[in-house]
Amino acid sequence: MDVFFQQIINGLSLGGIYALIALGYTMVYGIIELINFAHGDVYTLGTFFSLAILTALGVSGEVHGVALIGVVAVTIIGAMLLCGLTGVLVERLAYRRLRNAPRLAPLITAIGVSFILENVMQLWRGPSPVPFPELLPNPSFALGGVEIEAKQIAVILLAVLMMAALQLFIKRTKLGKAMRATAQDRDAAQLMGIDINTTIAMTFLIGSALAGTAGFVSGVYYGTTWFFNGFEAGLKAFTAAVLGGIGNVAGAMLGGFVIGLIEAIATQYIPGGAQWTNVVVFSVLVLVLIFRPSGLLGESLPEKV
Amino acid sequence: MRTIEGARQLAASLVVAALAGCSSTPTATTSQSSSSSAPGATVIKIGIDLPVSGADASTGIPARNGAVQAIEEAGEKGAPAGFTFAAYDLDDAVQGVHDPAQGAQNTRVFVSDPAVLAMIGPFNSSVARAEIPITNDAGLAEISASATNPSLTQGAAAAQLRTSHPDVNNFFRVCTTDDRQGAAGAQFARKLGLKKAFIVDDNETYGKGLADVFEAQFKALGGTVLGHEHLTKGQTDFKALLTKVKALGPDLVYYGGTTATGGGLLRKQMPDAGLASVAYLGGDGISDAEFVKVAGDTANGAYFSVAAPETSKLPSAAAFVSAYKKRWGSDVGPYSANAYSAASIEIAAIEKALVADGNKMPTRAEVLKNVAATTNFPSPIGPIGFDKNGDTTNPILSIYRVSGGKPIFVDQINLKV
Repeated sequence: MDVFFQQIINGLSLGGIYALIALGYTMVYGIIELINFAHGDVYTLGTFFSLAILTALGVSGEVHGVALIGVVAVTIIGAMLLCGLTGVLVERLAYRRLRNAPRLAPLITAIGVSFILENVMQLWRGPSPVPFPELLPNPSFALGGVEIEAKQIAVILLAVLMMAALQLFIKRTKLGKAMRATAQDRDAAQLMGIDINTTIAMTFLIGSALAGTAGFVSGVYYGTTWFFNGFEAGLKAFTAAVLGGIGNVAGAMLGGFVIGLIEAIATQYIPGGAQWTNVVVFSVLVLVLIFRPSGLLGESLPEKV
Repeated sequence: MRTIEGARQLAASLVVAALAGCSSTPTATTSQSSSSSAPGATVIKIGIDLPVSGADASTGIPARNGAVQAIEEAGEKGAPAGFTFAAYDLDDAVQGVHDPAQGAQNTRVFVSDPAVLAMIGPFNSSVARAEIPITNDAGLAEISASATNPSLTQGAAAAQLRTSHPDVNNFFRVCTTDDRQGAAGAQFARKLGLKKAFIVDDNETYGKGLADVFEAQFKALGGTVLGHEHLTKGQTDFKALLTKVKALGPDLVYYGGTTATGGGLLRKQMPDAGLASVAYLGGDGISDAEFVKVAGDTANGAYFSVAAPETSKLPSAAAFVSAYKKRWGSDVGPYSANAYSAASIEIAAIEKALVADGNKMPTRAEVLKNVAATTNFPSPIGPIGFDKNGDTTNPILSIYRVSGGKPIFVDQINLKV
């Protein structure tokens, strides 16, 4: 039974990273119905930006006390800003002109942007894995027979926190309201005086900033990254967004956790499970979509963003 | 979902093909030996197909350097009148990982160039599997310095790779095979007194081959195998798998695969899962500097086997090691001496054919015949000969332990049969 709970923790922390990426996917889809395949690569950029900031700060190992809070805050905010700007830039340069084009055009463009970002990262940091400094002391504590690492808790909490903040932002702020309006009917929103270009740019800014957070978290959590990291993670996060009901913020987080849990449990309980995890994940996705085509939370919250 | 993924993959392959198309030809370095490059001299090229970018580069480049050095030395020594030797060097890594399709593409480039009389490579067994049918069809002799999967040369699987000329073997190797690497690993693990192993492999030709042989040998030597799992491509989170491993209580995790396919991250995450004190042993796939870079401090204490003798422990290699350092300004890699020996064998075979033909450009068939007939060829890694399968008759393996981020030689295992 200890092993079961250990796997739950493993699955939730893996799912937390998927969830953070999935939030960005789902936001962008919600507002312009574009599957932004470059999003996974913005996530990897987040790790590289964090690394660059840490290098600039001269951090290469564990940091303690007040300095730790400062370093983490500066790095996260820096990575969020840089990733957000990247997202806005990508939207402005690649997607805006295609907003009224057939849906296949922006989709292919998104794949192209994904390749551009991957290759830029490869040029920047090389094609090999890049180590990430072990920033945080990582005490683990035992709960019964279950070992829980501090960073696992941090990942899970951060994912929930970000989701909640995003939900509040969309429901309570004026810009959130503008986003919801743009998502419902772009033309009508424009007629009502909403600047949809700014609104969509802000959506990209926030979604990409969340990917930047996820990038920082994954760097700290795994202690390494490489330029192609976003491909697999992006695909899983996209699956999470679809599973939860694409366009739905709470659904993206739920989907991320569900996929992380499925991976961990499948690895443990299927003989030779490690090689079957993806099969199980995508089978569950297919089953969910057969019985609930709009995803797990797609129906209960029909309003997208 | 399917169409999107399909579109992405299609786009991926198109772009990769386009990138490969523009990068492979212009960046190929055709380093020509200068001494006998008289105007009008006929160039004889030796193709070199190795992964020299990405995670594989840290072992691929030293191997490439070894082969290039042999070709340069042959030029300095003086090629037969009217001829010069040149290395024709292509990269088979795509997006930082060795790629069978790119290897096959490079091989076709060599085959279509009539000046290429023999080739060195590839580095990885999965790539060799894609290349052997092409070189078999063209009758081009191919010597690998490091592809260690047994089925490339032995048994029914090897016969199937020789699609055009089933009765002719044109793939040779100066390294030993995985069955011996797995066997050496099992022998060494039992020597350390380890009893309960959990085996993980990357499900590739090389990694799975190594792991399967280790499993059989470890059991035969009285060890217990608690489980054998395969990783999926692109996986980066092994906590779930390692939790499962921990629950079984092994004293050894054996990894069949390369650093790029998960060997480094797996080791890095072991302490997080409470497996810090469990031994970690792998094949030459984790013998690279990347492994230390990815696994960080946790790399220390890991063991790996290399399907080659430790060059610094071999008197026959001393001259090569110092010449290599002088030429490249760095120390030899695990397969530099192998690649050097492979290229030397091919040059000797070409020169022999040149003499026999009265100094006319030899055919690939003549070169192949001479390579196949190699016996007791003096090389830095000892006297090399090829058996009827194309395997070396001199299998010496070494075991290393990572300590302070550097591999330290611990044991030499000779499995001469």
